[in-house]
Amino acid sequence: MTGDARTDRADTLAARQAELVAALVAGGPVPPGFAPAPLAAARAALLRKRAGGVARHWPLLAAALGPDWPTTFATWAADRPAHGSLRDGWDLARALRDEGTLPPLGAEELAVREAGARYDGQRPPRPRRLPAVRRVRGAVAVQLAGRVRLLRPAPRVSFDPAGRDR
Amino acid sequence: MADFEFAASGDTWGVSGPTFLRFYLTAAALLVAVAVVHRIRLISGGREGGRDPLDPQQAAYLNGGDTLAVHAALGGLRAHGAIGVGRNHQLKATGPLPAGATPLEQAIHHAAGQRARVRELRRDQWVDRALTDLREGLERRELLLSPAHRIAARRASLALLTLIAIGGVRAVLGLTNSRPVGYLMLSLVALVVVSLFLSRVPRVTRAGRQALHDMRRQHAHLAPSAAPSYPTYGAVGVSTGVALFGAASLWALDPGFAEQAEIPRQAISSGGVGSSGGDGGSGGDGGSCGGGSCGGGGCGGGCGGGCGG
Amino acid sequence: MSGPTGVGIGWRPEIAGFVAELPGLRFVEVVAEALAPSGPLPSGLTALRERGVTVVPHGVRLSLGGAEPVDPTRIEHLAAVAELVNAPLVSEHIAFVRAGGLEAGHLLPLPRSRAAVDAVCANVARARERLPVPIALEPIAALFDWPDDELDEAAFLTEILERSDALLLLDIANVYANARNRGTDPLDLLDRLPLDRVAYVHVAGGAEHGGFYHDTHTDPVPRPVLELVGELCARRRPPALLLERDGGYPPAQALRAELDALAAASGFPVVT
Repeated sequence: MTGDARTDRADTLAARQAELVAALVAGGPVPPGFAPAPLAAARAALLRKRAGGVARHWPLLAAALGPDWPTTFATWAADRPAHGSLRDGWDLARALRDEGTLPPLGAEELAVREAGARYDGQRPPRPRRLPAVRRVRGAVAVQLAGRVRLLRPAPRVSFDPAGRDR
Repeated sequence: MADFEFAASGDTWGVSGPTFLRFYLTAAALLVAVAVVHRIRLISGGREGGRDPLDPQQAAYLNGGDTLAVHAALGGLRAHGAIGVGRNHQLKATGPLPAGATPLEQAIHHAAGQRARVRELRRDQWVDRALTDLREGLERRELLLSPAHRIAARRASLALLTLIAIGGVRAVLGLTNSRPVGYLMLSLVALVVVSLFLSRVPRVTRAGRQALHDMRRQHAHLAPSAAPSYPTYGAVGVSTGVALFGAASLWALDPGFAEQAEIPRQAISSGGVGSSGGDGGSGGDGGSCGGGSCGGGGCGGGCGGGCGG
Repeated sequence: MSGPTGVGIGWRPEIAGFVAELPGLRFVEVVAEALAPSGPLPSGLTALRERGVTVVPHGVRLSLGGAEPVDPTRIEHLAAVAELVNAPLVSEHIAFVRAGGLEAGHLLPLPRSRAAVDAVCANVARARERLPVPIALEPIAALFDWPDDELDEAAFLTEILERSDALLLLDIANVYANARNRGTDPLDLLDRLPLDRVAYVHVAGGAEHGGFYHDTHTDPVPRPVLELVGELCARRRPPALLLERDGGYPPAQALRAELDALAAASGFPVVT
């Protein structure tokens, strides 16, 4: 096997692997020759795993969404490549906030994180050094010298007609 | 006029400044020394206290008084599935009392059956009695300073206050008679500071603090920053976690319950990765994966043998 | 230092207290990326090391199966961790986790082609240059196969292992999952793998979702997997078996029961 042929094969391998990953995490097309059903199962499994990881980093957000958490996450994350659980959860929380569907506990968690670190959505979050105050949907968090405190909780619906029991 | 001036230049009380200061400072030094020794003996607490291990409720009481003891009991009961929270932040009994429940847990379970709210629990008679018993037991083991001991520890600073009063009177007299009172004032300031320090008596004895410290080291795996798997450690693990690391453990166990039951959240420190509060816990969560180093999907522990994408 | 022996468990901070209390435990495995290469070790691991428990670092993100050369920093990290815990060997996967600048977030199967064999062997060679200890390679469970595979799984794995002279981390749960999803006989694979290269064995649980069996590591170990362990031991007992669990940890009692079941299936001493 000549060196060139080996390089060619390696390039093809690289391209094929890239195609597959794109199909699984970035909404790319199913590469030729693959059965769609197992790929779909793989995609779903990946999303479940991601959801689990994000829930560990954003426990209040996941708990607040309760049984809706898996579907909410999966719908949002479906064609978005992963950037790590911290960033995924952060992006999701911001998206829900912008939509107006961020639950109060989730808003508090986001406010605390926003006060504690600077995140521009592109690069990993970096801890803030200067004091900061952040508001998210009524929740107010303040950061001083590295310690973040929730000053004011997000307002909750006073009476839950569904009488959510736990 | 000359007579008056002559009288005014006499020493206050007939004792010269330097002489008075010498006696005064000697007396003060003696008093402070006695007070400090007395205080150390009182605050160190019992030697017996260290031998028997603390149970979660005792640890909780030492760490955070009534409130934390109640929270630790709530955690244990919740982990057992014995209590839940319903509408309007009222607790409810969702299961039988577990075997081996402590008196405080029994009391809270009963109160939950009466639909009490968490903030009303301390007013419940039975809960109050259980808390009192808990406190008295700890005082007997000399892990907590009993009221008698606290008063005794304060007595030393009382004596010091008397001395300060004497010095104060002399200073005032000295001022009105235009006597030099510089050094006296300085000593008074120093004594006030010392007496303030001596008058602050801690709640927990040194033996108690040591017992807590040892327990925290033994149970470091229960710290919220380790993301402990509460089902694995069981209800005792939950109570212990809450007792040693605060309400953050309760929030980690069941955020929905903690929110509905209105458990207060402690300060959440260092905004980065985790949201662990509790004593001196600083951010940092589960897989010790902070922000950057993990890139792609998920940190550490989730990747094993793979379910093939 | 000799390799792992007997029954072990994956060390995770979430169950560190449980692992610390296993009296007969002789070895654990830890995810390499979860440790800081310059230390300090989590206190639970330090305590285990002081007891003389063997710690094996398990890499998950090196992507040895990727067409791109493996990142030297990742190899350095793995090497540093191996030295930190004084490990007798390290392990990684025959899989890839990133391509085209995207992270898959999970271990993906390779096409069973000569190109892939070349890629894996090249990366393993790069890794071995900088690793102070031997490396064991773990075949993964795959929900799908690539079209036009040239080799079957046994031939593919055997060729990789022999060309790279690496040890084998045989994941019995993956063998089961693949056989079940493909409708093949897991014993066929066991019979054709170089069992003399096995350094240790993974045993894990899974669950059925949407018609496929997923090797989740967050569920109890199913009976058929334990039976496969027995079949493996009947052919050639591996030096060690590891219970691998990544989440959804059950009460301590259930974990102990699983460890005992592993010991029973393999004839190793009980560690609980």
